[in-house]
Amino acid sequence: MITFENVGMRYGMGTEVLRDISFSLDRGSFHFLTGPSGAGKTTLLKLLYLAHRPSRGLVNFFGRDLATLERGALPRLRRRIGVVFQDFRLFDHLTAFENVALPLRIQGAKKAQVADHVEELLSWVGLEDRMHARPATLSGGEKQRVAIARAVINKPDLLVADEPTGNVDPDMSRRLMHLFVELNKIGTTTVVATHDEDLVRMIGAPIMRLDKGELNMIAGGTPLDPEAAA
Amino acid sequence: MSMWGRTLQFLPKQNQREGLLPWVIGVMLFLCALSLTSALALGRGLERWSAGLTSNLSVQIVVDDPMVRKAQTEDALRLLRATPGVAEASVMADADVIALLSPWLGEIPTDTGLPLPTLIEVKLTAPDAVNIKGLGERLMATASGARLDDHQAWMTQILNLAAVVRLLLAGIVVMVVLCTVAIVIFGCRAGLATHRESIEIMHLMGAEDRTISQAFDERYLAHGLKGGLFGVLMAGLTLYILIRLADDMGQGLIQASLPAASSLAWLALLPVLSGVVTMLTARITVRRALLDLM
Repeated sequence: MITFENVGMRYGMGTEVLRDISFSLDRGSFHFLTGPSGAGKTTLLKLLYLAHRPSRGLVNFFGRDLATLERGALPRLRRRIGVVFQDFRLFDHLTAFENVALPLRIQGAKKAQVADHVEELLSWVGLEDRMHARPATLSGGEKQRVAIARAVINKPDLLVADEPTGNVDPDMSRRLMHLFVELNKIGTTTVVATHDEDLVRMIGAPIMRLDKGELNMIAGGTPLDPEAAA
Repeated sequence: MSMWGRTLQFLPKQNQREGLLPWVIGVMLFLCALSLTSALALGRGLERWSAGLTSNLSVQIVVDDPMVRKAQTEDALRLLRATPGVAEASVMADADVIALLSPWLGEIPTDTGLPLPTLIEVKLTAPDAVNIKGLGERLMATASGARLDDHQAWMTQILNLAAVVRLLLAGIVVMVVLCTVAIVIFGCRAGLATHRESIEIMHLMGAEDRTISQAFDERYLAHGLKGGLFGVLMAGLTLYILIRLADDMGQGLIQASLPAASSLAWLALLPVLSGVVTMLTARITVRRALLDLM
Protein backbone atom coordinates (compact mmCIF):
# COMPACT_ATOMS: atom_id res chain seq x y z
CA MET A 1 0.00 0.00 0.00
CA ILE A 2 2.89 2.33 0.84
CA THR A 3 6.37 1.78 -0.51
CA PHE A 4 9.63 3.65 0.08
CA GLU A 5 12.62 2.74 -2.09
CA ASN A 6 16.09 4.17 -1.45
CA VAL A 7 14.59 7.32 -0.03
CA GLY A 8 16.92 10.05 1.15
CA MET A 9 15.99 13.30 2.81
CA ARG A 10 17.98 16.41 3.52
CA TYR A 11 16.88 19.90 4.55
CA GLY A 12 18.36 22.57 2.29
CA MET A 13 22.08 21.97 1.76
CA GLY A 14 22.51 20.07 5.04
CA THR A 15 23.57 16.46 5.44
CA GLU A 16 21.05 13.69 4.80
CA VAL A 17 18.74 13.12 7.74
CA LEU A 18 17.47 9.88 6.19
CA ARG A 19 19.58 7.62 3.98
CA ASP A 20 18.49 4.84 1.65
CA ILE A 21 15.25 4.13 3.45
CA SER A 22 13.37 1.20 1.92
CA PHE A 23 10.27 -0.48 3.32
CA SER A 24 6.70 -1.23 2.49
CA LEU A 25 3.60 -1.09 4.64
CA ASP A 26 0.91 -3.63 3.80
CA ARG A 27 -2.76 -2.86 4.23
CA GLY A 28 -3.81 -3.43 7.83
CA SER A 29 -0.26 -3.71 9.18
CA PHE A 30 0.86 -2.26 12.52
CA HIS A 31 4.38 -0.94 13.03
CA PHE A 32 6.20 0.89 15.75
CA LEU A 33 8.77 3.46 14.73
CA THR A 34 11.53 3.72 17.31
CA GLY A 35 15.01 5.15 17.60
CA PRO A 36 17.00 7.65 19.62
CA SER A 37 16.34 11.39 19.45
CA GLY A 38 17.75 12.88 16.26
CA ALA A 39 17.60 9.56 14.42
CA GLY A 40 15.15 10.96 11.86
CA LYS A 41 11.83 9.64 13.21
CA THR A 42 10.01 12.94 12.83
CA THR A 43 11.35 13.39 9.30
CA LEU A 44 10.20 9.91 8.30
CA LEU A 45 6.78 10.59 9.83
CA LYS A 46 6.56 13.86 7.86
CA LEU A 47 7.22 11.92 4.70
CA LEU A 48 4.53 9.44 5.75
CA TYR A 49 1.91 12.10 6.34
CA LEU A 50 2.86 14.00 3.19
CA ALA A 51 4.23 17.14 4.81
CA HIS A 52 7.45 16.85 2.74
CA ARG A 53 8.64 15.32 -0.49
CA PRO A 54 11.82 13.25 -0.21
CA SER A 55 15.08 14.61 -1.64
CA ARG A 56 15.60 11.37 -3.55
CA GLY A 57 14.19 7.90 -3.98
CA LEU A 58 10.80 6.51 -4.90
CA VAL A 59 7.71 6.85 -2.74
CA ASN A 60 4.45 5.23 -3.64
CA PHE A 61 1.20 5.99 -1.77
CA PHE A 62 -1.90 3.93 -2.51
CA GLY A 63 -0.58 3.13 -5.98
CA ARG A 64 0.40 6.72 -6.80
CA ASP A 65 4.02 7.69 -7.42
CA LEU A 66 4.70 10.79 -5.32
CA ALA A 67 7.31 12.11 -7.78
CA THR A 68 4.76 12.43 -10.57
CA LEU A 69 1.87 13.57 -8.41
CA GLU A 70 0.78 17.19 -8.92
CA ARG A 71 0.41 19.43 -5.89
CA GLY A 72 -3.31 19.78 -6.54
CA ALA A 73 -3.80 16.02 -6.15
CA LEU A 74 -2.20 15.87 -2.71
CA PRO A 75 -5.18 17.04 -0.57
CA ARG A 76 -7.24 14.00 -1.66
CA LEU A 77 -4.33 11.74 -0.76
CA ARG A 78 -3.88 13.43 2.63
CA ARG A 79 -7.54 12.76 3.44
CA ARG A 80 -6.67 9.06 3.41
CA ILE A 81 -4.07 9.64 6.13
CA GLY A 82 -4.83 10.38 9.78
CA VAL A 83 -2.21 12.06 11.93
CA VAL A 84 -1.90 12.17 15.73
CA PHE A 85 0.69 14.44 17.32
CA GLN A 86 2.38 14.27 20.71
CA ASP A 87 1.24 17.85 21.44
CA PHE A 88 -2.31 17.13 20.16
CA ARG A 89 -2.48 20.27 17.92
CA LEU A 90 -6.15 20.84 18.55
CA PHE A 91 -7.82 24.15 17.70
CA ASP A 92 -8.16 25.81 21.09
CA HIS A 93 -11.14 27.98 20.09
CA LEU A 94 -13.15 25.00 18.86
CA THR A 95 -14.96 22.44 21.01
CA ALA A 96 -14.00 18.77 21.03
CA PHE A 97 -16.96 18.12 18.73
CA GLU A 98 -15.90 20.83 16.28
CA ASN A 99 -12.28 19.68 16.29
CA VAL A 100 -13.29 16.13 15.44
CA ALA A 101 -15.72 17.37 12.78
CA LEU A 102 -13.07 19.38 10.92
CA PRO A 103 -11.86 16.65 8.54
CA LEU A 104 -15.45 15.94 7.50
CA ARG A 105 -16.10 19.65 6.97
CA ILE A 106 -12.96 19.85 4.84
CA GLN A 107 -14.48 17.19 2.64
CA GLY A 108 -17.61 19.32 2.36
CA ALA A 109 -19.93 17.32 4.64
CA LYS A 110 -23.00 19.16 5.92
CA LYS A 111 -23.66 19.78 9.60
CA ALA A 112 -26.47 17.23 9.81
CA GLN A 113 -24.35 14.52 8.19
CA VAL A 114 -21.46 15.19 10.53
CA ALA A 115 -23.26 15.18 13.88
CA ASP A 116 -24.09 11.48 14.25
CA HIS A 117 -20.68 10.38 13.09
CA VAL A 118 -18.76 12.70 15.41
CA GLU A 119 -20.92 11.87 18.42
CA GLU A 120 -20.48 8.15 17.80
CA LEU A 121 -16.71 8.47 17.55
CA LEU A 122 -16.41 10.67 20.65
CA SER A 123 -18.44 8.07 22.53
CA TRP A 124 -16.07 5.37 21.27
CA VAL A 125 -13.09 7.23 22.75
CA GLY A 126 -15.03 7.78 25.99
CA LEU A 127 -15.69 11.50 25.62
CA GLU A 128 -19.45 11.55 25.15
CA ASP A 129 -19.75 13.87 28.16
CA ARG A 130 -17.02 16.25 26.98
CA MET A 131 -18.20 16.93 23.43
CA HIS A 132 -18.73 20.63 23.92
CA ALA A 133 -15.65 21.26 26.05
CA ARG A 134 -12.79 23.30 24.65
CA PRO A 135 -9.27 21.83 24.72
CA ALA A 136 -8.18 24.19 27.53
CA THR A 137 -10.59 22.40 29.90
CA LEU A 138 -9.57 18.86 28.88
CA SER A 139 -6.86 16.71 30.49
CA GLY A 140 -3.88 15.48 28.46
CA GLY A 141 -5.47 12.07 27.95
CA GLU A 142 -8.78 13.62 26.88
CA LYS A 143 -7.04 15.93 24.43
CA GLN A 144 -5.18 13.01 22.89
CA ARG A 145 -8.41 11.03 22.55
CA VAL A 146 -9.99 14.02 20.77
CA ALA A 147 -6.90 14.14 18.51
CA ILE A 148 -7.22 10.42 17.77
CA ALA A 149 -10.93 10.81 17.02
CA ARG A 150 -10.09 13.68 14.65
CA ALA A 151 -7.44 11.56 12.95
CA VAL A 152 -9.76 8.62 12.32
CA ILE A 153 -13.11 10.33 11.63
CA ASN A 154 -12.47 9.95 7.89
CA LYS A 155 -11.73 6.21 8.28
CA PRO A 156 -8.18 6.73 6.98
CA ASP A 157 -6.23 4.01 5.19
CA LEU A 158 -3.09 5.04 7.07
CA LEU A 159 -2.84 6.29 10.65
CA VAL A 160 0.42 7.95 11.68
CA ALA A 161 1.00 8.80 15.34
CA ASP A 162 3.99 10.78 16.55
CA GLU A 163 4.69 9.96 20.22
CA PRO A 164 0.95 9.85 21.00
CA THR A 165 1.57 8.76 24.58
CA GLY A 166 4.36 11.22 25.30
CA ASN A 167 2.19 13.63 27.29
CA VAL A 168 -0.05 11.22 29.19
CA ASP A 169 0.34 8.95 32.25
CA PRO A 170 1.12 5.20 31.88
CA ASP A 171 -2.46 4.10 32.43
CA MET A 172 -3.73 6.49 29.75
CA SER A 173 -0.88 5.37 27.44
CA ARG A 174 -2.17 1.82 27.69
CA ARG A 175 -5.74 2.93 26.94
CA LEU A 176 -4.61 4.99 23.95
CA MET A 177 -2.59 2.09 22.56
CA HIS A 178 -5.68 -0.04 22.93
CA LEU A 179 -7.50 2.45 20.67
CA PHE A 180 -4.77 2.21 18.05
CA VAL A 181 -4.92 -1.58 18.12
CA GLU A 182 -8.73 -1.44 17.76
CA LEU A 183 -8.38 0.83 14.73
CA ASN A 184 -5.76 -1.44 13.24
CA LYS A 185 -8.09 -4.40 13.67
CA ILE A 186 -10.67 -2.76 11.39
CA GLY A 187 -8.06 -2.48 8.64
CA THR A 188 -6.27 0.82 9.26
CA THR A 189 -2.57 0.60 8.53
CA THR A 190 -0.92 2.06 11.60
CA VAL A 191 2.52 3.50 12.34
CA VAL A 192 3.18 4.66 15.90
CA ALA A 193 6.41 6.46 16.73
CA THR A 194 7.39 6.00 20.36
CA HIS A 195 10.28 5.97 22.81
CA ASP A 196 8.32 3.81 25.19
CA GLU A 197 9.88 0.34 25.10
CA ASP A 198 7.23 -1.01 27.48
CA LEU A 199 4.46 -0.12 25.02
CA VAL A 200 6.36 -1.79 22.19
CA ARG A 201 6.80 -4.97 24.23
CA MET A 202 3.18 -4.83 25.33
CA ILE A 203 1.85 -4.88 21.75
CA GLY A 204 4.61 -6.97 20.20
CA ALA A 205 4.20 -5.43 16.70
CA PRO A 206 7.04 -5.21 14.13
CA ILE A 207 9.48 -2.36 14.70
CA MET A 208 10.94 0.13 12.24
CA ARG A 209 14.11 1.17 14.05
CA LEU A 210 15.89 4.29 12.89
CA ASP A 211 19.45 5.03 13.88
CA LYS A 212 21.51 7.86 12.41
CA GLY A 213 19.17 8.12 9.46
CA GLU A 214 19.23 4.44 8.58
CA LEU A 215 16.31 2.05 8.96
CA ASN A 216 16.23 -1.50 10.28
CA MET A 217 13.08 -3.57 10.19
CA ILE A 218 12.66 -5.83 13.25
CA ALA A 219 10.04 -8.54 13.33
CA GLY A 220 7.38 -8.39 16.01
CA GLY A 221 7.66 -10.32 19.26
CA THR A 222 5.14 -11.99 21.50
CA PRO A 223 2.86 -9.40 23.06
CA LEU A 224 3.26 -9.03 26.82
CA ASP A 225 -0.30 -7.78 27.10
CA PRO A 226 -2.50 -10.13 25.08
CA GLU A 227 -5.55 -8.06 25.96
CA ALA A 228 -4.07 -4.89 24.45
CA ALA A 229 -2.72 -6.67 21.42
CA ALA A 230 -5.71 -8.92 20.84
CA MET B 1 -18.77 33.50 11.46
CA SER B 2 -18.51 29.89 12.49
CA MET B 3 -17.09 26.71 11.14
CA TRP B 4 -20.62 25.76 10.10
CA GLY B 5 -21.07 28.71 7.74
CA ARG B 6 -20.59 28.65 3.99
CA THR B 7 -16.89 29.20 4.61
CA LEU B 8 -15.03 26.75 6.85
CA GLN B 9 -13.85 29.37 9.33
CA PHE B 10 -11.11 27.70 11.35
CA LEU B 11 -9.42 30.94 12.46
CA PRO B 12 -10.13 32.22 15.97
CA LYS B 13 -12.17 35.40 16.22
CA GLN B 14 -9.81 37.57 18.23
CA ASN B 15 -6.50 38.75 16.92
CA GLN B 16 -5.07 41.95 18.36
CA ARG B 17 -2.70 42.53 15.44
CA GLU B 18 -5.51 42.28 12.92
CA GLY B 19 -7.72 44.46 15.13
CA LEU B 20 -5.80 47.55 14.04
CA LEU B 21 -6.10 46.79 10.36
CA PRO B 22 -9.62 48.19 9.78
CA TRP B 23 -8.54 51.50 11.37
CA VAL B 24 -5.45 51.74 9.18
CA ILE B 25 -7.53 50.90 6.10
CA GLY B 26 -10.04 53.52 7.26
CA VAL B 27 -7.39 56.26 7.40
CA MET B 28 -6.06 55.29 3.97
CA LEU B 29 -9.58 55.29 2.53
CA PHE B 30 -10.20 58.70 4.09
CA LEU B 31 -7.15 60.13 2.27
CA CYS B 32 -8.07 58.28 -0.90
CA ALA B 33 -11.66 59.55 -0.87
CA LEU B 34 -10.55 63.15 -0.31
CA SER B 35 -7.94 63.03 -3.09
CA LEU B 36 -10.23 61.32 -5.55
CA THR B 37 -13.14 63.65 -4.83
CA SER B 38 -10.94 66.74 -5.18
CA ALA B 39 -9.38 65.50 -8.43
CA LEU B 40 -12.77 64.77 -9.99
CA ALA B 41 -14.41 67.95 -8.69
CA LEU B 42 -11.50 70.14 -9.79
CA GLY B 43 -11.75 68.69 -13.27
CA ARG B 44 -15.50 69.14 -13.55
CA GLY B 45 -15.44 72.59 -11.94
CA LEU B 46 -12.76 73.89 -14.27
CA GLU B 47 -14.57 72.49 -17.29
CA ARG B 48 -17.71 74.41 -16.30
CA TRP B 49 -15.72 77.51 -15.40
CA SER B 50 -13.60 77.57 -18.60
CA ALA B 51 -16.63 76.75 -20.75
CA GLY B 52 -18.25 79.91 -19.37
CA LEU B 53 -15.17 81.99 -20.12
CA THR B 54 -14.52 80.66 -23.62
CA SER B 55 -18.02 81.78 -24.59
CA ASN B 56 -17.08 85.35 -23.68
CA LEU B 57 -14.77 87.85 -25.33
CA SER B 58 -13.68 91.34 -24.34
CA VAL B 59 -12.90 94.14 -26.76
CA GLN B 60 -10.97 97.18 -25.50
CA ILE B 61 -11.02 100.43 -27.43
CA VAL B 62 -7.80 102.11 -26.35
CA VAL B 63 -7.80 105.63 -27.82
CA ASP B 64 -6.98 108.86 -25.94
CA ASP B 65 -9.41 111.09 -27.82
CA PRO B 66 -12.90 110.53 -26.36
CA MET B 67 -14.65 111.42 -29.65
CA VAL B 68 -12.54 109.02 -31.72
CA ARG B 69 -12.95 106.38 -29.01
CA LYS B 70 -16.73 106.78 -29.15
CA ALA B 71 -16.76 106.53 -32.97
CA GLN B 72 -14.51 103.45 -32.96
CA THR B 73 -16.68 101.88 -30.25
CA GLU B 74 -19.77 102.26 -32.42
CA ASP B 75 -17.93 100.82 -35.45
CA ALA B 76 -16.72 97.86 -33.41
CA LEU B 77 -20.22 97.25 -32.00
CA ARG B 78 -21.70 97.28 -35.49
CA LEU B 79 -19.11 94.79 -36.72
CA LEU B 80 -19.54 92.54 -33.71
CA ARG B 81 -23.33 92.50 -33.87
CA ALA B 82 -23.18 91.66 -37.58
CA THR B 83 -20.76 88.76 -36.99
CA PRO B 84 -22.38 85.30 -37.09
CA GLY B 85 -21.84 83.47 -33.79
CA VAL B 86 -22.00 86.62 -31.67
CA ALA B 87 -25.05 86.44 -29.45
CA GLU B 88 -24.66 89.79 -27.76
CA ALA B 89 -22.25 92.74 -27.67
CA SER B 90 -22.63 95.56 -25.16
CA VAL B 91 -20.52 98.42 -23.82
CA MET B 92 -19.57 98.19 -20.19
CA ALA B 93 -20.49 101.25 -18.10
CA ASP B 94 -17.57 103.47 -16.93
CA ALA B 95 -18.48 102.74 -13.32
CA ASP B 96 -18.05 99.00 -13.97
CA VAL B 97 -14.70 99.58 -15.70
CA ILE B 98 -13.50 101.62 -12.70
CA ALA B 99 -14.69 98.83 -10.40
CA LEU B 100 -12.56 96.37 -12.37
CA LEU B 101 -9.53 98.65 -12.05
CA SER B 102 -10.01 99.47 -8.38
CA PRO B 103 -7.93 96.50 -7.07
CA TRP B 104 -4.91 98.04 -8.80
CA LEU B 105 -5.67 101.79 -8.73
CA GLY B 106 -7.82 102.11 -5.61
CA GLU B 107 -11.04 104.08 -5.39
CA ILE B 108 -11.29 106.50 -8.37
CA PRO B 109 -14.06 109.08 -8.86
CA THR B 110 -15.84 108.67 -12.21
CA ASP B 111 -15.22 112.28 -13.21
CA THR B 112 -11.43 112.39 -12.87
CA GLY B 113 -10.89 112.66 -16.62
CA LEU B 114 -8.64 109.59 -16.50
CA PRO B 115 -8.48 108.14 -20.06
CA LEU B 116 -10.22 104.84 -19.47
CA PRO B 117 -10.51 102.32 -22.30
CA THR B 118 -13.97 101.43 -23.44
CA LEU B 119 -14.78 97.80 -22.76
CA ILE B 120 -17.19 95.83 -24.91
CA GLU B 121 -18.46 92.54 -23.53
CA VAL B 122 -19.17 89.97 -26.21
CA LYS B 123 -21.15 86.77 -25.65
CA LEU B 124 -20.83 84.02 -28.23
CA THR B 125 -23.49 81.48 -29.09
CA ALA B 126 -20.88 78.72 -28.52
CA PRO B 127 -17.16 78.65 -27.50
CA ASP B 128 -16.02 77.88 -31.08
CA ALA B 129 -18.76 79.85 -32.88
CA VAL B 130 -16.35 82.54 -34.11
CA ASN B 131 -12.90 82.55 -35.71
CA ILE B 132 -11.17 84.64 -33.03
CA LYS B 133 -8.08 85.48 -35.09
CA GLY B 134 -10.15 86.61 -38.11
CA LEU B 135 -12.48 88.67 -35.90
CA GLY B 136 -9.48 90.39 -34.27
CA GLU B 137 -8.06 91.34 -37.69
CA ARG B 138 -11.40 92.67 -38.91
CA LEU B 139 -11.83 94.67 -35.70
CA MET B 140 -8.38 96.22 -36.12
CA ALA B 141 -9.27 97.15 -39.71
CA THR B 142 -12.57 98.71 -38.63
CA ALA B 143 -11.39 100.39 -35.41
CA SER B 144 -7.62 100.84 -35.14
CA GLY B 145 -7.77 101.18 -31.33
CA ALA B 146 -9.63 97.87 -30.81
CA ARG B 147 -7.90 95.01 -28.94
CA LEU B 148 -9.63 91.63 -28.77
CA ASP B 149 -9.03 89.54 -25.62
CA ASP B 150 -10.29 85.94 -25.58
CA HIS B 151 -8.78 85.24 -22.07
CA GLN B 152 -6.68 82.41 -23.54
CA ALA B 153 -3.30 83.68 -22.31
CA TRP B 154 -4.05 83.53 -18.58
CA MET B 155 -6.69 80.84 -18.75
CA THR B 156 -4.24 78.41 -20.36
CA GLN B 157 -1.88 78.89 -17.42
CA ILE B 158 -4.64 78.20 -14.91
CA LEU B 159 -5.85 75.16 -16.82
CA ASN B 160 -2.26 73.86 -17.01
CA LEU B 161 -1.88 74.36 -13.27
CA ALA B 162 -5.18 72.59 -12.68
CA ALA B 163 -4.04 69.69 -14.88
CA VAL B 164 -0.87 69.34 -12.79
CA VAL B 165 -2.90 69.45 -9.55
CA ARG B 166 -5.25 66.78 -10.91
CA LEU B 167 -2.27 64.64 -11.86
CA LEU B 168 -0.83 65.04 -8.36
CA LEU B 169 -4.14 64.10 -6.77
CA ALA B 170 -4.41 61.07 -9.04
CA GLY B 171 -0.86 60.15 -8.01
CA ILE B 172 -1.85 60.44 -4.34
CA VAL B 173 -4.83 58.13 -4.96
CA VAL B 174 -2.56 55.55 -6.62
CA MET B 175 -0.02 55.80 -3.78
CA VAL B 176 -2.73 55.46 -1.13
CA VAL B 177 -4.18 52.38 -2.87
CA LEU B 178 -0.71 50.82 -3.17
CA CYS B 179 -0.01 51.66 0.47
CA THR B 180 -3.28 50.03 1.51
CA VAL B 181 -2.41 46.91 -0.48
CA ALA B 182 1.05 46.82 1.17
CA ILE B 183 -0.49 47.21 4.63
CA VAL B 184 -2.94 44.39 3.93
CA ILE B 185 -0.07 42.19 2.71
CA PHE B 186 1.89 42.88 5.92
CA GLY B 187 -1.21 42.28 8.03
CA CYS B 188 -1.95 39.10 6.17
CA ARG B 189 1.60 37.81 6.58
CA ALA B 190 1.41 38.56 10.30
CA GLY B 191 -1.88 36.65 10.36
CA LEU B 192 -0.30 33.74 8.51
CA ALA B 193 2.57 33.66 11.01
CA THR B 194 0.13 33.78 13.94
CA HIS B 195 -2.03 31.00 12.54
CA ARG B 196 0.79 28.99 10.98
CA GLU B 197 0.15 25.89 13.07
CA SER B 198 -3.59 25.93 12.39
CA ILE B 199 -2.93 26.30 8.67
CA GLU B 200 -0.47 23.40 8.72
CA ILE B 201 -2.99 21.19 10.50
CA MET B 202 -5.71 22.09 8.00
CA HIS B 203 -3.25 21.40 5.19
CA LEU B 204 -2.35 17.98 6.63
CA MET B 205 -6.01 17.10 7.07
CA GLY B 206 -6.41 17.53 3.32
CA ALA B 207 -7.77 21.07 3.09
CA GLU B 208 -7.25 22.57 -0.33
CA ASP B 209 -5.53 25.95 -0.66
CA ARG B 210 -8.88 27.44 -1.63
CA THR B 211 -10.54 26.23 1.58
CA ILE B 212 -7.77 27.72 3.72
CA SER B 213 -7.64 31.02 1.86
CA GLN B 214 -11.43 31.40 2.04
CA ALA B 215 -11.14 31.72 5.81
CA PHE B 216 -8.78 34.65 5.27
CA ASP B 217 -10.95 36.02 2.43
CA GLU B 218 -13.92 36.28 4.76
CA ARG B 219 -11.85 37.85 7.53
CA TYR B 220 -10.16 40.45 5.32
CA LEU B 221 -13.33 41.28 3.40
CA ALA B 222 -14.83 42.27 6.76
CA HIS B 223 -11.71 44.32 7.63
CA GLY B 224 -11.87 46.11 4.26
CA LEU B 225 -15.59 46.85 4.56
CA LYS B 226 -15.28 48.15 8.12
CA GLY B 227 -12.23 50.28 7.33
CA GLY B 228 -13.78 51.54 4.11
CA LEU B 229 -17.00 52.53 5.85
CA PHE B 230 -15.11 54.42 8.54
CA GLY B 231 -12.86 56.20 6.01
CA VAL B 232 -15.71 57.18 3.72
CA LEU B 233 -17.87 58.47 6.58
CA MET B 234 -14.99 60.65 7.77
CA ALA B 235 -14.26 61.85 4.23
CA GLY B 236 -17.94 62.62 3.62
CA LEU B 237 -18.11 64.63 6.82
CA THR B 238 -14.93 66.55 5.96
CA LEU B 239 -16.12 67.33 2.43
CA TYR B 240 -19.50 68.45 3.73
CA ILE B 241 -17.81 70.92 6.10
CA LEU B 242 -15.51 72.20 3.31
CA ILE B 243 -18.44 72.66 0.92
CA ARG B 244 -20.36 74.65 3.55
CA LEU B 245 -17.31 76.85 4.18
CA ALA B 246 -16.75 77.40 0.44
CA ASP B 247 -20.43 78.34 0.00
CA ASP B 248 -19.99 80.99 2.70
CA MET B 249 -16.84 82.34 1.02
CA GLY B 250 -18.42 82.91 -2.40
CA GLN B 251 -17.68 81.60 -5.84
CA GLY B 252 -14.68 80.95 -8.01
CA LEU B 253 -11.87 78.41 -8.01
CA ILE B 254 -12.37 77.30 -4.42
CA GLN B 255 -15.93 76.28 -5.18
CA ALA B 256 -14.85 74.85 -8.52
CA SER B 257 -12.40 72.53 -6.76
CA LEU B 258 -15.05 71.12 -4.41
CA PRO B 259 -17.81 68.73 -5.41
CA ALA B 260 -21.49 69.45 -5.03
CA ALA B 261 -22.88 67.79 -1.90
CA SER B 262 -25.40 65.94 -4.07
CA SER B 263 -22.60 64.37 -6.14
CA LEU B 264 -21.01 62.50 -3.23
CA ALA B 265 -23.25 59.43 -3.49
CA TRP B 266 -20.56 57.48 -5.35
CA LEU B 267 -18.48 57.52 -2.15
CA ALA B 268 -20.80 54.76 -0.94
CA LEU B 269 -19.08 52.44 -3.42
CA LEU B 270 -15.66 52.92 -1.82
CA PRO B 271 -16.22 50.59 1.19
CA VAL B 272 -17.26 47.82 -1.22
CA LEU B 273 -14.19 48.52 -3.37
CA SER B 274 -12.02 48.59 -0.26
CA GLY B 275 -13.46 45.24 0.88
CA VAL B 276 -12.89 43.62 -2.50
CA VAL B 277 -9.32 44.97 -2.86
CA THR B 278 -8.46 43.90 0.70
CA MET B 279 -9.97 40.44 0.18
CA LEU B 280 -8.20 39.86 -3.14
CA THR B 281 -4.88 41.06 -1.71
CA ALA B 282 -5.27 38.67 1.22
CA ARG B 283 -6.25 35.82 -1.10
CA ILE B 284 -3.18 36.28 -3.32
CA THR B 285 -0.86 36.63 -0.28
CA VAL B 286 -2.25 33.52 1.42
CA ARG B 287 -2.23 31.39 -1.73
CA ARG B 288 1.38 32.35 -2.45
CA ALA B 289 2.36 31.52 1.13
CA LEU B 290 0.55 28.16 0.91
CA LEU B 291 2.67 27.22 -2.09
CA ASP B 292 5.60 26.97 0.35
CA LEU B 293 3.82 24.01 1.92
CA MET B 294 4.06 20.75 -0.01
